[in-house]
Amino acid sequence: MTAFLPAHDGLPTPEPVDLKAEMLRATRALAQPPAARAARMTSDLSIDEELVLHSIGWEPVELVGGMSTHSIPYGVWNWGQGEIAWASQAYTRSFARATERIHAECTKAGAHGVVGVHVEWEVHRHHIDVTLVGTAVRAVGGNGLSADPVFVSDLSGRDFALLHRAGWTPLGLAAGASFVYAPRRSVGTAMKQKGQNVELTNFTEAMYASREAAMERMQSAALGLEGTGVVEVKVTEGPMDFAHHAVGFTAYGTVVRLVAGEHRHVGARMILPLDDPVRAFDVTSLRGTGPG
Amino acid sequence: MSQVPADLPEAAVRRFADGAFTSGLTVPDFAACLQLGLEPVGFVQGFCVMQWQFYRMGAGMGMGMGGYGSQYVDTGGYSENYQCPHGMVSAEHRYWGQNYEQTWVEDAWAEGFTSAYSRMVEEAAEAGAHGVVGVVDTSYPLADMGVLEFKVQGTAVRVTDGEPPHGGQPWTTYLAGQRLAKLVEAGYAPVSIAASAASVRVWANCVTENLTEGSNSMYGMATPGSEIDQTVKAHTAVRRLARRRVRDQLEHDSLHGATLVTTTRELGQGDAELQCVLRGNRVRRFKEFDPVPPPVPTVRLL
Repeated sequence: MTAFLPAHDGLPTPEPVDLKAEMLRATRALAQPPAARAARMTSDLSIDEELVLHSIGWEPVELVGGMSTHSIPYGVWNWGQGEIAWASQAYTRSFARATERIHAECTKAGAHGVVGVHVEWEVHRHHIDVTLVGTAVRAVGGNGLSADPVFVSDLSGRDFALLHRAGWTPLGLAAGASFVYAPRRSVGTAMKQKGQNVELTNFTEAMYASREAAMERMQSAALGLEGTGVVEVKVTEGPMDFAHHAVGFTAYGTVVRLVAGEHRHVGARMILPLDDPVRAFDVTSLRGTGPG
Repeated sequence: MSQVPADLPEAAVRRFADGAFTSGLTVPDFAACLQLGLEPVGFVQGFCVMQWQFYRMGAGMGMGMGGYGSQYVDTGGYSENYQCPHGMVSAEHRYWGQNYEQTWVEDAWAEGFTSAYSRMVEEAAEAGAHGVVGVVDTSYPLADMGVLEFKVQGTAVRVTDGEPPHGGQPWTTYLAGQRLAKLVEAGYAPVSIAASAASVRVWANCVTENLTEGSNSMYGMATPGSEIDQTVKAHTAVRRLARRRVRDQLEHDSLHGATLVTTTRELGQGDAELQCVLRGNRVRRFKEFDPVPPPVPTVRLL
């Protein structure tokens, strides 16, 4: 939530804008053809995100995307032990190739990075698909030539601006996944546990094994990008729809690094909103149960 | 005011002549529009019901039927061929494959959407509006009978002291209220909504089939765990086509607040049908960007 505070807080007060006059001006401009030299932009950012990007000197350039799908051979989801390496590799490779492609589109558009990337991924029995779509951005007036490497991030425009103000920069997306068999219980164990409320350690252990491997891979990817951490990590875990004896854990997030001398305190101000939602009509009062 | 269009219902003309306005705006959006000098004129809608036949005769005929018959479909749009690397090995073997743009699906979508859109704009023009705000468009199947209904609706508004729209065509936008106010303040004028659909069909060759189905090819050339090139190319193409088509509508304007949705219908044996719909607001810069001061971060105490 962002807001301009009144002048008595020692902050600049923006000039009041005559919105009616602006609207009239805007509609009159429609009678003229668009300027041929105007830079054409395509973006899936909201107007709030665009305004906040401009406030730190960045602008949207182009809607970009990348996709990859990798095959998983027949039979790998059958009962077994340990990790289902084919599936874990298919996820990692699909994520990496999709990232390369969105990266290439961003570079081609003359942008410095991609923000607000929507990450969609699906695990099928025989293939894993990863799709990335976001808006390429650059410093206002930039031409895509920058000493800094191009970044891809799933942070919103607002989060990117906040990170920027705090002295940090996004470096890219890091992902990790692991799919692990929950081994069969022995006949003796199954008989002993029959009819009891007990922990199924084979599943618990499989969950832990997949989690540790996936998180480690994501952290390794972050280190590979020379990042110091990963923010906005999203994880999923659980058995596969098509193979309940196999559990999967996936994780991805945006790798960040401090580029300022030190972390800059953003200094958020506390506000007390006075616009509490109106209390809904209380039907019990119809029965005369209220006071009076 | 434009002339009464031939296909506008007679009742609509009478309704718009009445004094009371109608609006699909929420109360906050209504209040914000009044602050912008936008007076609601009427709730306007456009419909178009299309028969929806995905497959035209001849398209893909002969596919999956072994090594006979013709093959590659020429739709006049994007197309890529995938020859079997094994040579002719059996009647069941998919010895060729193809990705191709389903131009007839795209044309049908465009016809349905554009008809519904122009009918809504027609109503707005008839009501004497300068623009339409808060546009919502939907398309959904009717009663599971191969029929698709396109609906576009919004609130027609008049700009206080504004001149009639250029060419008699009201401007349109998905935005309303505060979001529209911020857009204008940022220096963008709403021109129109922009939307397009692209459709690509994947007829898998043997390699794509083996990789997608996880089957082990006795003939090789389908390395287990590798990327499925034909599918990736189809996905890349369908998004590229949708984006290109919207860019063609923009001239030198920009697209703001876009949404890009891709749906995949897997048809087995590696075959698939992909559809991508891109929509957003076509906007025109009418003044240089006026940078806002850095926003103040706040924390809400609840």
